[in-house]
Amino acid sequence: MLTFSRTRLISVEPLDETTFQCHGILDDYIYNMELDVEIKLPDFKITAISGKMKRITTSECHKAVGKLKNAIGLSVLDPDFETKVKRIVGRQGCRHFADLLMEGCDSLMQLVTYVGWQQVSTKDSATKDAFWKKLLESTPRLCNSCSVYADNSPLMKKLGIKN
Amino acid sequence: MIVSYTRNKHLTVRDLNGSVLSRASINDTFFEAEVEVEVKVPELEILSAKGQIKRAFFPECQRAIPLLDKAVSMRVGPGITRTIKDLIGGTNGCNRLADLVFECFDAVILRFTAEQIRNNWKKPETLEEEIKMQVEYLKQNPRLLDSCIAYIEGSPFRTEGQFKKE
Repeated sequence: MLTFSRTRLISVEPLDETTFQCHGILDDYIYNMELDVEIKLPDFKITAISGKMKRITTSECHKAVGKLKNAIGLSVLDPDFETKVKRIVGRQGCRHFADLLMEGCDSLMQLVTYVGWQQVSTKDSATKDAFWKKLLESTPRLCNSCSVYADNSPLMKKLGIKN
Repeated sequence: MIVSYTRNKHLTVRDLNGSVLSRASINDTFFEAEVEVEVKVPELEILSAKGQIKRAFFPECQRAIPLLDKAVSMRVGPGITRTIKDLIGGTNGCNRLADLVFECFDAVILRFTAEQIRNNWKKPETLEEEIKMQVEYLKQNPRLLDSCIAYIEGSPFRTEGQFKKE
């Protein structure tokens, strides 16, 4: 028998060429909540956010919905983005809302980073290599983010990228 | 407009004999993986950590899997986030896999929170009743002080209980 279960579901929808909406749902044995966040490119700023709490543990929890607006104006590209969200949406509001917001923003970053992958994923290795080289050179935050993108990794050597 | 990306993260916890088995999986547009961590209770010592990456951009991503062994015999408690980030994430590993390990830990803690709520909480009839109940809960769980809007300075549960964070 399961003694705990949690599902976090995110979808990212383009509203226009530079605006995306992330919709997130959290449903577990204790909590149920959802949020919608609108992020505008190219600076990846949060321009709108709203949320709902359907299952909570105290009569104070619902006040965290009002704290979501603290995130408006934050940029997902800010190196301190997570720290800020944990503080102004999490500790001042609800940790689970903060986690859901960060999951949504991370999903958007995954999408915009790898959006071109669908076009090249079934192509020959030279086309794929060209895709990775262009991506890594235009997205410095990826470099040294994991073992595959680390300095001196086989991929970086193969592509001839030096950080 | 049609959705461009989806992510589904699922966590489960199952009780075993003297331990709990926590599983976390992620299935998104580009990546699919799962991690399974067995934690001894009540010590919260990690007995085993396994995982698999089912879909990723590079075959090299699989090299992060053996790093999960490094979590074995650690205790789920203060400082483990930093340690796991260093050992399983970062330039030597995979941040996505490390994230699933954190999710497993979180699920273990929430499994005990859910049990505590199920066994000890009854829906309060009045605010006074709830305050009394929450003050008692905070006394038993002082780590929750300042963790969210319900337990920050100014909350009725704090005002009534006169808690001071050390």
